[in-house]
Amino acid sequence: MGKRVLLADDDQLLASLLNFRLKKGGYEVHHSANGKEVKEYLKNEMPDIIVSDIMMPYFSGIELIDYVRNDLKSKTPIIIISSAGNEQNVLTAFELGANDFVTKPVSPTELLVRIQREIYK
Amino acid sequence: MIIPPSQIKISLITAPEFNLEYLWWLTILFFVLAVTYLIGVFIIRNKIKLKNSRTKEKKIEFSPMINEFLFYEDSNTKEEKMNYLNLKIQIRELIKNTFDRDVLTEVLLDLRKDLSGNSQKVLINLYKDLGLHHDAYEKLRSKKWQVVSSGILELTTMEVEDSYGLIIKFINHRQRTIRKQAEIAIVSLKKEGVRYFLDNTKYKIAEWQQLKLLDVLRHKPNYTPPQFALWLTSTNAHVVLFALRLIKYYSQNDAEQSIITLLMHKERDIQAEAIECIKDFHFVNALPTLKLVYPKASHDIKIAILDAIGELGTIADVPFLENLQRTERNFNIKSKVIGTLNKIDPESILPTTNISSPDFYDVEGEILDHVNDQEIIDKEVLKEETILESELQPEEIKKKDALDHIDFNFLPDLIDEDVVKQSNQVVITVHDLEPDHDLEEVLSFNFLPLIIDETTFQDKDQSTEQDDFEPIFVLNDLPVEEEHIDITIGQQNGASDININNLDGSFLNKKATNKGEIKNASAEETLISFENERVSFSPNFMCQEELDAMVLLENISELGDCRELLLLYQIIEAHSSDVVIDRANELIQKFSYESLRPGELFSENYNLAESVFTDVYHLADHETKLLLLDEMMNVGDHKEIHLLEGILDSTSKSLVKKATKVLEHIKSQTSVATEAPISTLKEDFFFKVDFELELNEPTEYKGTAPINNGYTLFDQLCSMSNSLYNKING
Repeated sequence: MGKRVLLADDDQLLASLLNFRLKKGGYEVHHSANGKEVKEYLKNEMPDIIVSDIMMPYFSGIELIDYVRNDLKSKTPIIIISSAGNEQNVLTAFELGANDFVTKPVSPTELLVRIQREIYK
Repeated sequence: MIIPPSQIKISLITAPEFNLEYLWWLTILFFVLAVTYLIGVFIIRNKIKLKNSRTKEKKIEFSPMINEFLFYEDSNTKEEKMNYLNLKIQIRELIKNTFDRDVLTEVLLDLRKDLSGNSQKVLINLYKDLGLHHDAYEKLRSKKWQVVSSGILELTTMEVEDSYGLIIKFINHRQRTIRKQAEIAIVSLKKEGVRYFLDNTKYKIAEWQQLKLLDVLRHKPNYTPPQFALWLTSTNAHVVLFALRLIKYYSQNDAEQSIITLLMHKERDIQAEAIECIKDFHFVNALPTLKLVYPKASHDIKIAILDAIGELGTIADVPFLENLQRTERNFNIKSKVIGTLNKIDPESILPTTNISSPDFYDVEGEILDHVNDQEIIDKEVLKEETILESELQPEEIKKKDALDHIDFNFLPDLIDEDVVKQSNQVVITVHDLEPDHDLEEVLSFNFLPLIIDETTFQDKDQSTEQDDFEPIFVLNDLPVEEEHIDITIGQQNGASDININNLDGSFLNKKATNKGEIKNASAEETLISFENERVSFSPNFMCQEELDAMVLLENISELGDCRELLLLYQIIEAHSSDVVIDRANELIQKFSYESLRPGELFSENYNLAESVFTDVYHLADHETKLLLLDEMMNVGDHKEIHLLEGILDSTSKSLVKKATKVLEHIKSQTSVATEAPISTLKEDFFFKVDFELELNEPTEYKGTAPINNGYTLFDQLCSMSNSLYNKING
């Protein structure tokens, strides 16, 4: 059984594409389209890695990091996907405990490599 | 004839007759319209919602297919390859439907924005393989500008190079959005696109568009820019400007002469950009042209030129800048000129504003004199000691060395009166001993050294140094360290006189063995007295008249201005006290350079002598200039004549025509005004002050005051604004 990845992104097309690529890369992927779903999922289960978009409805990527690190006290690696030019958010994400980030447009293969690196670090 | 009441009609009071039937019809009509509108909105909303829902479903349907296509690898299993082929057939069937084609195109365009790397390339190839770009070509033929624009955008996003030939014809399209989209398309689709664009564009290239085009060029992989200097000769000023910016961005410094020539371009933006290039590439040869262009340049360009001269200039350019410093009237430019001068030749111009004249610091000179005197005395004393030591015999030297090792701290300080006398400067006399003193008490102290209790002396010194107290009576302005005591004690009619130069505060703590009073040699009043071995002070009061004058002078200093000059001269005349005269002179000096006199203000050397429209006019565009001329017609006066005469030399006929008209009008106005009885408008009439200053003695000024116009700059400006207001409002 592959490693579990929580993919949190409200963009259905991109999420579907990344989901496909990660599954093809041997990961077990759970996709959540908004912050509420992410929170619900995390209450029941903790994945091996979280890949989250910064801009999400209800619960942003920044809030997600804060929730995981401070409320759940988990050290699960978190990779943030952000738009180019969103530097301040990325810095905040790192301050709160994000492990890595990728900017849009995303190269699915690059993301896969980063996930592998974070999981097997 | 009497009209019966039944025939009288009061039509104004009677309500107008209204057919109720029409009212009902109108109500029904509006009701039907409202229902139709609501139904229409409902239908359209549902249609859009349905379409979105269908699109979403289709997107979900297409998504896995696209994923399969995107991540297909030759290393896939046979089953996967079969699946891939089936999907290809399936998708080709699907895109036969227009709606499906549109959705698929939309999906691919969305993903194109979110993906990079190899996936992006695969996506673009898929778009072309499926022939979706043909739909975009169709869009280019549409008559709707938004459809054409979206077609160009689609082809640009999907990097369909074949569409280049179709898009270039839109480069000079009259519709702005299509034109801009086409510009970006041809620059991004092919490397030679930027050449074609710069060669052929006839329209303005907006600032934002220039940024976007530059961004496109920046992100082009392996891009070798052409020599943009080729387009500096373009007839389209916007192309020249854009070319200059590209030259600067790509640091193409091989067009020195062209860029220098562009300094003389009529467009300010081009001038400014050329100056920036010159600065960046350090074209020193541009300096003569910069100076040549300067006089007729606008405000911003002047600043930019000065900045460039500051960067490139040498000492040889200093005379040009010094000349500008003298002639330039605009504050900002003048400041820039000074800054540039100091940049080329550091500290060639020192601060001048609000700097007091050296005379103001004369006190410092006095202090220096005292310090020098002290140094001379110290040297003399040291010399004498050295001579004395050299005269000592060997045995005596031994004794002296032995004595040097003994600690004499337990002994009181003994000061030789002669030494004290030598170092004295100011003489203070102690006399007026009480006549009933016994002869034993009235002694001559000539034979005695002055004895000072060391502890008291040190305590006093420490307290003086450590505490920031202010003495009630300042005996001397000089620091304690620089003071010397000289006491001469003599006997005259049973009284002892002590002359003290520069009385030190610490001296007051010394125990005086005789009763006496210390007097300042220059003043008759008793300042300090010694009674029963204690020191007491007596204040030196001014006489009432002097005090009143000083109070008045302080009030003038606080509240007055140059109008008080006359009064100040009167005070000087009326008083003999040095303190009063000095203070009055200080105030005269203060008010004399405080503000310009109205006469000076409107002299030819001063700005206000010229039209207030001058600066605004020279910076304005044509329409604004015409408006300003209208304003001059309404509110202008003789000060505008010089400006208007200058406008008559202008090349614009409309300006010359209007200026001539205004000039004639103003001249006629001026001639009318000069004929008016000016004698009644004497300044004294307006600015007469109807109050009398309280002086003890009414004095009459006999001297000549430097300025007779007794009104301030503020008054003058107020009167100016009033006259302007009156002119505007007739």
